[in-house]
Amino acid sequence: MIKSKSWFVLVILLLVAIVLSFGLGPSGFSLSDLSIPIQLRLPRIILGIFAGGILGLVGASLQGLLQNPLVDPYTLGIASGASFGAVIGYLFGRLGVFTVPVFAFVGALATMFLVYNLAFVKGRITKISLVLAGVIMSFLFSGIVMLLMVWTQKPLVEIIYLLMGRLNVVFTNELLVSFIVIVIISIPVMIYLFSKWRSLNVLSMNEEVAESLGIDTQKLTRNIFTASSFLIALVVSFTGAISFIGLCVPHIIRMVYGPDHYKVLPLSFLLGASLLLFTDLIARSIAPIELPISVITALFGVPFFIYLLKKKL
Amino acid sequence: MTAIETNNLSFQYGKKPVLQNLTIQITQGDFFGIIGPNGAGKTTLLKIFAGLLKPQQGEVQLFGKKSDEIPIKERAKLLSYVPQENYFYFDFTVLDVVLFGRHPYLKQMERPKKSDIDKAINALKFTDALEFKNRSVLELSSGERQRVILARALTSEPKILLLDEPTSYLDITHQVEIINILKKLNQEGITIIFLSHDINLTSIACNRVLLLSEGKMIACDVPAKIINKDLIKAVYKIEPQIISSPDSAKPQIILPS
Repeated sequence: MIKSKSWFVLVILLLVAIVLSFGLGPSGFSLSDLSIPIQLRLPRIILGIFAGGILGLVGASLQGLLQNPLVDPYTLGIASGASFGAVIGYLFGRLGVFTVPVFAFVGALATMFLVYNLAFVKGRITKISLVLAGVIMSFLFSGIVMLLMVWTQKPLVEIIYLLMGRLNVVFTNELLVSFIVIVIISIPVMIYLFSKWRSLNVLSMNEEVAESLGIDTQKLTRNIFTASSFLIALVVSFTGAISFIGLCVPHIIRMVYGPDHYKVLPLSFLLGASLLLFTDLIARSIAPIELPISVITALFGVPFFIYLLKKKL
Repeated sequence: MTAIETNNLSFQYGKKPVLQNLTIQITQGDFFGIIGPNGAGKTTLLKIFAGLLKPQQGEVQLFGKKSDEIPIKERAKLLSYVPQENYFYFDFTVLDVVLFGRHPYLKQMERPKKSDIDKAINALKFTDALEFKNRSVLELSSGERQRVILARALTSEPKILLLDEPTSYLDITHQVEIINILKKLNQEGITIIFLSHDINLTSIACNRVLLLSEGKMIACDVPAKIINKDLIKAVYKIEPQIISSPDSAKPQIILPS
């Protein structure tokens, strides 16, 4: 059972993040003119909750599935695979507003399976080989993205945002509609991930034990990979690749609330959403220009990653 | 009634044959031991029984039904598998882990009910592990861990228990403890299939023993017919002495000095 108290703290945190994100900004806040908060900051908040929540949820699902504390959409290369797909869609696609998400999904999914297969060394997959494979693919795709964007003479700033994340999307009416559609279709996929909490718990024992308890681990792996790639592709096609949220959030949740995925999955969504909103607040207030999100997440994420690397493996 | 039956079963990894033409019958209520030198194919056979590996030839029947035609959640209710290596990735409590044994009985999103928790508690009582039900599984000693793992296996209420060297990391106190738990379970009608390098322990515990060597069945019979000088010498290439245990008359092996 999730105690009401535990939900409560994280809900309060998210509410604080929403209120601050709504109220703070270069043009300030006054009750008499709400046009800036509503037109500029509200879409940003909704995008932040959607993206941060998905990063936390997918990070928790993948860490549980692969029993690997170092994986998240970024370290596995899915995020940059999605960026690569997104750029291809952006440059060459002719399918309307959904071109970018569709291409991002193909890129993410292909990268996920590629990394997973690359990580098999002598028939076994190790925690390090998986992350190594992810990082390698991540470098490759980031390089290609950079090359494609420069070739086609896109502004450098767009490349940086695509590879390092942002929430300052300018929502045209068309884009807003596609965003709403995407949020709606992502909900059943998120519910699918939540629904696998017990299988993920059982998998934390020996994989063969999980199978002998009636879990089809191959099918589960395939489905969670597909669902994760799908959700990350949707996020990346709006915000670009954001690092470390998906890595840190599940760890923090497990430290505080224990390892039961019944709690870890939904609470990672909540904390991921709050953390991304706070990060975004920092990214848009500490410098005269808006910093990409991953600049800030790397500042707290890297020490965290080093801590994990030293602690156990 | 036959619990597990194989007919002319063969298995290979790549081109390397691991098991060849095994025809075995294990009767319900048996305490069935599998022994043999390293690389004989013991673990592979146990995994095939558990449905984790699929033989290339021959099939496994569980209670007269083809094993691979039984849905995996139904099969999980018939047999519990305990591998040699057990690790835990997250610091779940002992009770949480034992409750994992209820997985095949629960629906997709269902939380364990009161009745499931009662079953887990009973299993912990049975293996004398109830006192640490709230401890983290990462903090257990080897003996305690093995009792918790057995309790997990029992919580699925299996008819058949498959164990891969359950005593290999234990001192003799804890070995005897585990064997006594298994004997008690066997008396309650659960078929035990037990794989071990410890021939003496196998002799004491089991009513039937399968001797494997290089993937072939050498013999399958009561312990007294298997654990004798000629067979042991032929398979293990040593010159053992076999004595009869003073209290049970079961054969015990003494290593050459």
